[in-house]
Amino acid sequence: MAALGYLEILDGKGAVSERIAVDSFPLTIGRAYGNQVIVDDPFVCPLHLKIFQDEQGRLLASDLDSVNGIYSASSKDRVAQLVLQSGSQFRIGHTTLRYVSVDHPLAPTQVDRAVKASPLASPLASPYAAAVAGVVLVLLLCLDAYLSSVERVSFARIIGEPWITVSMLATWAGMWALASRIIVSRFNFAAHVTIACLALLTISALGVVAEWTEFFLPRVPMLWIAGLFGYGAVLAALLYGHLGAASPLRRRSRLWAAGAISLVVVGTSAISDYAARSKFSTVMAFTGVVKPIDAAWLPATSVDEFFAGAEKIKKELDKLAQKAKSSQP
Amino acid sequence: MTRLLTSIALLLWFALAAVGTARAQTIPGTTPEIFKQFSEHVVKIEVVETGSSAKAATGTGFFADASGRIVTNYHVISKLVHSPERYRIDVIDVAGATTVATVLGVDVVFDLAVLRTNRQPKGHLVFESKAVAQGTRLYSLGHPRDLGLSIVEGTHNGLLKHTLYPKVHFTGSLNPGMSGGPTLTQAGKVVGINVATEGNQISFLVPAERAMILLDKTAKGETPPAASFLADVGRQIFDNQARYLAGMFDAKTPRVALAPYDLPTKPTEFFRCWADAVRRKELPYVSVTHDCSTDDYIFVSSEQSLGIVRFYHQLLSTSELNPVRFFTLYSGQFQGGNAAMFGNEEEVTPFRCQTRNVATAHGKLKGVLCARQYVKLPALYDAVFRAATLGSRNAGLVSTLSLSGVSFDNVQNLSRRYMENIKWQR
Repeated sequence: MAALGYLEILDGKGAVSERIAVDSFPLTIGRAYGNQVIVDDPFVCPLHLKIFQDEQGRLLASDLDSVNGIYSASSKDRVAQLVLQSGSQFRIGHTTLRYVSVDHPLAPTQVDRAVKASPLASPLASPYAAAVAGVVLVLLLCLDAYLSSVERVSFARIIGEPWITVSMLATWAGMWALASRIIVSRFNFAAHVTIACLALLTISALGVVAEWTEFFLPRVPMLWIAGLFGYGAVLAALLYGHLGAASPLRRRSRLWAAGAISLVVVGTSAISDYAARSKFSTVMAFTGVVKPIDAAWLPATSVDEFFAGAEKIKKELDKLAQKAKSSQP
Repeated sequence: MTRLLTSIALLLWFALAAVGTARAQTIPGTTPEIFKQFSEHVVKIEVVETGSSAKAATGTGFFADASGRIVTNYHVISKLVHSPERYRIDVIDVAGATTVATVLGVDVVFDLAVLRTNRQPKGHLVFESKAVAQGTRLYSLGHPRDLGLSIVEGTHNGLLKHTLYPKVHFTGSLNPGMSGGPTLTQAGKVVGINVATEGNQISFLVPAERAMILLDKTAKGETPPAASFLADVGRQIFDNQARYLAGMFDAKTPRVALAPYDLPTKPTEFFRCWADAVRRKELPYVSVTHDCSTDDYIFVSSEQSLGIVRFYHQLLSTSELNPVRFFTLYSGQFQGGNAAMFGNEEEVTPFRCQTRNVATAHGKLKGVLCARQYVKLPALYDAVFRAATLGSRNAGLVSTLSLSGVSFDNVQNLSRRYMENIKWQR
């Protein structure tokens, strides 16, 4: 005979710990072995309640003069009788039960993120992408090592400097891969390598853009802005990517996690930056990036404007001196 | 005969010995005589920290008039000027008697101070009013390293030629502790006040007339409040600027060619300039430097020496580095190489800077102006102006002007004239 429904005994978190098929009514529930549903709970009577259908076809749970009674999960009150629908929960003693009919509606099937990655993640996860990203990064690092050296360069030095970065990157990706193996049972090493390479490439690009911006427009403290907010954004993207490959978290949770961590890092560095700025120092802190371009292209202020701007320095210094004077005994 | 000869020889010997003794005792102008005659007018000066009653600085001074005013160096008593509530000045005469002195006036530019005690001196020294010839024998009195009153012989070698503030070149060994002591002629007249040494018998004196001027200024004998001297020091430095900054870097400034650049050099006689070049085989670039600085400075405190003007040009060029690599070097030189500056929070504000690309009549340059203000010396600033010329791919000039203890108007005027003096062919 096909089952009409199921009685489910739930644990404290609401998960099903035991499921008993119901193929006919009435049925009795209690601690005694003569019941159709036996509940191993000292606060439940040997013959605690009965479930039956009334003339109208409703399913009713009725207390059989038990010591501790029946409690409706929705109203939390002791009831003598309870109308059961598919999904109704009630408590006897310390045990929560749920009745579901065979045609109880189900939640839609969840996508397994670890198995079926998002469309963005799939090309990143390919080992070819990792290889390409790695090669591009190594080439760029070598180029940077060459361009930033002002002495005669040796081949060993051009290779040696990027080598440290590359091995650190590999270690970083390896640690994420290990975490992935533990959490989602897959290493996803290629994906982690690609993500880390992309982040590093973005940071380099950001640095170059910031330097040129600061060179053209020295009024805008672009290096400082990029150093604080640009790197914070790259860090958030990096963590978002790694979490995607290393955990079954949904997109929104990953965004939150990555955003929160990056915000903490940016906040900490902003505080230490502020502390360093407000601490007394005899160092002249200025950025003066110069770049090899035809001077005709360069926007420039006139000599008059330059010295008119210096008045601002004077005002600021007057204020600082006034403050220092008033703080002295 | 032999006996007679012996007697004559003995007599002669005694006679000579007697003459010798008489010369040592009575001939005026000898060193022992000068010491004996004038040492009682010389005093030891101790700046005492009142909390611990321990001496924080020592120097020398001398009675300069019948009322008992004492001349010494400003730098001997500078601690009292900066913190009058923490220090007092003790004056100790040759007999060892100690009296407390008050300050009547200071001249920070020439490093002099006039003090007074409430004791009448037995006598005083007088100043030499006539010019003293080079080579004249001089005698300097003082307490070198607190070892007791000493006399040092030396020679007058005229006034220093390339100096902003007149100083007597005294060839003799002055030592710390002798500062503020008198240097006398054989007749006992003061030609100068001991002030500094560069070792190897190269020493300097403040000319006597500067002390006479300060004595005139303080002739009323009123004692100003001790707390007022620091403001006075600031005013004196402020007023002194015109003496050395007027006309500096104007159209008449001599020029030096560091091709393709045409740059200012040695604006006045009191600057000293040096040049050098780094052309090492292992370096793929050449660096040529030209460095000028004033020798003179004004001592304000052990941490502050003001009134120094320094500028240096560094020409970088390469035939080997590509433009990107050359500009890595150039950026580094422009942004780095800042010598550690003196100063603490009580004395100066932190620096504030402005960076701009500036179009001058000769081309474009990256200009930075940094300045800081003195907290206790009103309206005085330190400033650094630095420029890097732009437009060339394999050569560049970093030029820096640094000023200390000047008004903000002078910061702007001098930096502007300096910037306009950096010329080059494009």
